[in-house]
Amino acid sequence: MHIPDGILPITISAAGYATSGAATWHSLRKIGQKENAQASIPKASLLTAAFFVASWIHIPVPPTSVHLVLNGLLGAVLGYYAFPAILIGLFFQAVMFQHGGLTTLGVNATMMGVPAILAFFIFRLRRVVGKESHWAVGLFGFLAGAAGLGMAVLISWGLLITTIPAHLDVEAEQASIYALVLAHVPLIALEGFFTALVALFLQRVKPEMLEN
Amino acid sequence: MIDWLDRHAQAASPLHRWDPRYKLVGLTILMFAFSSVQDLRLLPAMLAVTSGLYAASRIPLAFLLTRLRAPGFFIAIVAILLPFLSGTTVIARIGPLILWKEGTLAMGLIVAKFISILTISLVLFGTAPFLTTIKALRALGLSPILGDMTLLAYRYLYEIGNDLKTMEMAMGLRGFRARRPSSRVLGVLASLAGTMLVRSYEQSELVYKAMTLRGYGHSPRPREQFQAHPRDWVGLAGVLLVAAGFVAAEIWLRGLGG
Repeated sequence: MHIPDGILPITISAAGYATSGAATWHSLRKIGQKENAQASIPKASLLTAAFFVASWIHIPVPPTSVHLVLNGLLGAVLGYYAFPAILIGLFFQAVMFQHGGLTTLGVNATMMGVPAILAFFIFRLRRVVGKESHWAVGLFGFLAGAAGLGMAVLISWGLLITTIPAHLDVEAEQASIYALVLAHVPLIALEGFFTALVALFLQRVKPEMLEN
Repeated sequence: MIDWLDRHAQAASPLHRWDPRYKLVGLTILMFAFSSVQDLRLLPAMLAVTSGLYAASRIPLAFLLTRLRAPGFFIAIVAILLPFLSGTTVIARIGPLILWKEGTLAMGLIVAKFISILTISLVLFGTAPFLTTIKALRALGLSPILGDMTLLAYRYLYEIGNDLKTMEMAMGLRGFRARRPSSRVLGVLASLAGTMLVRSYEQSELVYKAMTLRGYGHSPRPREQFQAHPRDWVGLAGVLLVAAGFVAAEIWLRGLGG
């Protein structure tokens, strides 16, 4: 899911930095409008680290295992902090583990972060439908998790499909990208189910974490 | 702690002595200049500049090779798939497989750019302690919220990572084996993730209290202490000149139509 350095044209990388810059500015502005914004910085920071580590948990999908992106869950729990948290997480991944890249940091942050904010709004809809009932948290947790990854896959698909160099075999490239997107469909369901389970766990154990 | 990144941060080299703020600006622009390269004729120069900078950093080659192992999967996919899937001009036929010229050239371009940018990023973050680089980012105008979040997340990242390892080991000792994605397995793993989040949330409340007692949010932020020397300017000017050279050469070669 992380686009590495060297693949995208410079214009797309620059546009990625522009969109992630705008999204970060918007998120920071919203955070700044909070009553005691400073108090929530340690909370958001430690949760950023915890989400980063939680994405190391491997889910068995025989014959291999996958790790989840958790951007939908991040949006549901962190709200407007989700975008800066994702930006920092991706920065750590690029610098420490060479996953993703520095020139593609903006693109990757947009790809994961914008869906996280969407997931935040989707998860908030539970209050309209069923207050804080068990099923509402489960259902909207699932939708937030699935939409978070689903939208990230769609953005990545759009980017890859529109940046295939003309001198390559466009049909073969498109077929590979479509196959890659289709391979993500079961993972989207898995991400949604896992997000719902974690949301239900948090509702049971620490409900104030879902009050964002 | 994440000490591997800082393993060579205290060595002595011109890149270690370079003011981190100038290094950040210069090497980031160089990475973007490399990212703009599309003409294969620029690849030898790009690899030469990368090798020169890496050699000047005096970071052992083994360190770079270890770091290249992590994204090796990506390189392998590109190297295997592109030459055999993409293109219109046949170079060779190997049984049922066809090696395409355009795919092979595209593979060369992507892999060379990827390795060059990754190497430069290792030089950037491997020649100064990570915390110093973050402080340099703050000195360059990084938002205080982003700066604080980065430093705090970095501080607790491996502590939480160790908690995860301990919890996974405890689960394993109690007989938990994740073999299939059944609802029971997913339920246990979701509880594991949830427990980590709850523990971090509770710890953050203590961290905030400790920070407040030390004056966080009340006393003025200390200014980052960096002192630029003429050699820092010279270094920056040199790197910017090289970066501009690559961009200009790319535009010129594209103008030539070949």
